Amino acid sequence: MNAPSQSDPRLEQAAVTDESLLAAHEKVLGRRPDDQGHYRLLPLNLLFVFAGLIFFSGTYLNLYSGHFNPAIYNEHAKPHTGAAEAVAVDPVALGKKIFTGTCQTCHQITGLGLPGAIPPLAGSEWVMGPEERVIRAVMYGVQGAIKVKGADFSSAMPPNGKVPGSGFNLSDDKIAAVLTYVRQEWGNTGGPITTEQVAAIHAKEGEHKQWTSEELLKIQ
Amino acid sequence: MRNAPLFFLGLFVALTLSWAGTVLFADHQLGALAPYIDDSDPVNPSYPPQQPGIAARGQLVYADLGCASCHTQAVRRPDFGSDQARGWGDRQSVARDYIYQTRVQLGAERLGPDLTNLAGRKPSALDASNLMKLLYAGQGAMPAYKFLFDERAIVGEPADSRLMLVGRLAPAAGREIVPTERARSLVAFLLSLNNTFEYPEARPVAPEAPKKEEGKK
Amino acid sequence: MSPAPANAEVTAVDTTGRWPLLLLLVSAIKWLVLSGVLALIASIQLIQPSFLADCVVFTHGRTVALTETAFIYGWGANAGLAIALWVLGRLGGAPLRALNWAVVGTIFWNLSVLLGLVGIATGDATGVGLLQMPRYVQPVMLVAYGAIGVAGVLAWLGRRHECTFAAQWYAVAALFLFPWIFSAAQVTLFWLPVRGVLQAVAGGWFAQGAWTLWLAPLGLAGAYFVVPKVTGRTLPSYDFAPHAFWCLLVLGAVTGGRHLIGGPVPAWIASLAIVACSLLLFHYFVVFINLRGAFGAGGTALKLVAFGLGAYVLGGLVDAITAFRGVALVTQFTHVDTAQEQLALYGGFSMMIFGAIYYAVPRLTGQSWASAALVRGHAMLAMLGVTALVVSLTVAGWIQGHELLDAKVTFADIASHTRFWLLLAVAAQAVLLLGNLLLLVNFCWSACRACCPAEPADSVAFRQPAAMEAPAS
Repeated sequence: MNAPSQSDPRLEQAAVTDESLLAAHEKVLGRRPDDQGHYRLLPLNLLFVFAGLIFFSGTYLNLYSGHFNPAIYNEHAKPHTGAAEAVAVDPVALGKKIFTGTCQTCHQITGLGLPGAIPPLAGSEWVMGPEERVIRAVMYGVQGAIKVKGADFSSAMPPNGKVPGSGFNLSDDKIAAVLTYVRQEWGNTGGPITTEQVAAIHAKEGEHKQWTSEELLKIQ
Repeated sequence: MRNAPLFFLGLFVALTLSWAGTVLFADHQLGALAPYIDDSDPVNPSYPPQQPGIAARGQLVYADLGCASCHTQAVRRPDFGSDQARGWGDRQSVARDYIYQTRVQLGAERLGPDLTNLAGRKPSALDASNLMKLLYAGQGAMPAYKFLFDERAIVGEPADSRLMLVGRLAPAAGREIVPTERARSLVAFLLSLNNTFEYPEARPVAPEAPKKEEGKK
Repeated sequence: MSPAPANAEVTAVDTTGRWPLLLLLVSAIKWLVLSGVLALIASIQLIQPSFLADCVVFTHGRTVALTETAFIYGWGANAGLAIALWVLGRLGGAPLRALNWAVVGTIFWNLSVLLGLVGIATGDATGVGLLQMPRYVQPVMLVAYGAIGVAGVLAWLGRRHECTFAAQWYAVAALFLFPWIFSAAQVTLFWLPVRGVLQAVAGGWFAQGAWTLWLAPLGLAGAYFVVPKVTGRTLPSYDFAPHAFWCLLVLGAVTGGRHLIGGPVPAWIASLAIVACSLLLFHYFVVFINLRGAFGAGGTALKLVAFGLGAYVLGGLVDAITAFRGVALVTQFTHVDTAQEQLALYGGFSMMIFGAIYYAVPRLTGQSWASAALVRGHAMLAMLGVTALVVSLTVAGWIQGHELLDAKVTFADIASHTRFWLLLAVAAQAVLLLGNLLLLVNFCWSACRACCPAEPADSVAFRQPAAMEAPAS
């Protein structure tokens, strides 16, 4: 063995030749456990380390890989369900979004409408009135004169639901959501409206044309 | 390792495995990701909207200026960082948000705010003139990118696109500052950054114990 | 000029490979100094954003991209290839062949790096990390790389000795794999781009692959050669070296998703990368045990290798820790990421390569380095600079990460709280630049002395190495 002596930084001396380096290491690689079958302690420890790492990795992947599902972004989604348990949509939030996209142009973000042209929703007796009427009005639209909060309006409300002539094709759950939103916004106090209520009316009326306010008032 | 062909084969297989395991499998899952169709929305029936051509060019400007070295474009979920509390977005970014982007720039460092939802922030979304002024004048740690603008003499009527600057930034009388084509593309790209849509996979996972809340009621 | 014929330490490999390999090395060191200047500008911009901001060439994003490109493709590629070719030649026992190709390849490689840097500066950067060069230079680089690498592959295939050594495995793996990673990344990102976030996935795969399958093996090739050569001892637990090698090769690029934690990709992509980072600990552990003889022995070259080894292993450990989601929550998107990159690229790779250069150049030139003071000075400044850089960026990033978590802290506050540490990082970059200038001077001086036919009087003589004792079994 050739321990390096005091070396000059300008030249790091080599202690061994290339050939002997290759040969000595090749001999190590060819080595087997000795005659009594003993392994050296360190390699055995290394095996334990590696086995431990593999065990840990398997467990981690099992718990936090979302079952390799492309739709799971949160590693805490329950692996056994195989899909993220999505929170139910808040109808008010959904309704607000639909209102912004569909209703706001006419009824305004304040819900006050345009005096003389578009009826207000804030404080409107129609909005907070019977569900039977307001669902029909939103789904099928209203034509002809209508009296809201003591003022007369005549502009037509277009159909919004999935009915003939509708420009928006809102599904029943979205009608329910937007009504729920409108009935609690701007100080309104109407209760929430469920998808089932909307679906029932949709099934009952089928392909009804736009309503008039007189027809609606007959419905209790 | 003495057998050279076998050694090279081993190297190649090792590389291919990592390629297949990360890129290829991900591509198999997400490569054909379709936009989300919401048939009830009259304005934008399909999310995300297509990237306009000028925004696609702007994304390349964003890439070559290296904006991604200070700004990220990915909002994380609410319990993972303060992204949503800082108002950068209302939901976590998901793969579907990026399907139309030409050169995705998720970014590696946050020396400035996240830009995922720059145009959709409420109520403080910036408009084109805000962004132009920000690029021209800089703000805080954001340096001024004056080379994205031309200063020139007003000939005839002032240009519609000129920057309305006041104070010490204002150009001399008879001159105006107008954005270059690159600045216009960049701003168009920034204004296309909007993720105010809902996707089923972007909804938060149900919290662990809803029972406690019921108990309180 | 020529050493004594009895001297087995300077072989035909060194004399025939002298000029091609010195050409690679001088290109490498030139790019290292340039990247140091750019890194200094980029780090000043972190504390003074308006610095050079009006100049379109030096936006912060571009200085970062230029620094990274000059460092990886200028310094890393040239120096790593030189060391890999040299190690393969020495251990193969036959003079290197196809060196004309290597010279032509070196010239074209460096011209394309130059063109790439000009392209980035003038607005053709791609915006993809570690692959910022415009796509028009990339095919040329691929061909040039092949021309250089062919000498290494021929040295491996035509080796005189039947047996092989770990340094050779790492060198061959790096030479062989880079063109595959590089071309696969180019195709999926630029020629036939994949959709959406898959670009980020492919980019991550390339970035991690370029580090674990290319640069790290190049550095390890140097370290695995220099350590036993200088200490004269068989590597402890060398029988585990093949496992460590294949562990790195199989798992290295699987860590591709490690920067996408919490990002817009399915959870499994990050989880797979986290697991791969943990499993790689086995590799780092074995490398540490194999090469632990480097610590506390030998001269400057071995000290640099030892520092590099320490940084490499520490980098692997830190990588495994920060990959976990709870830690990544703080460190993600902060200076800690940069610190980690510097720890790996500068502390690990470059230091091992510095050590190998200090060992190899005297053999290539046939005489010792020109100045001992410059060697010592560079080693000291490099170690000091890397330590200061990594520590300051880590602290700055840790502060930044914690404050980012609090939605009430503004970016201006974060900037003022990290200012001191970023100033320290600027100082560290200046120290590194100074150290690398010393290396450049010393290298050019030594190479010039090799040109002169007269043997300088102050040259240190090569000692005849002994045979390595076989380990007792």
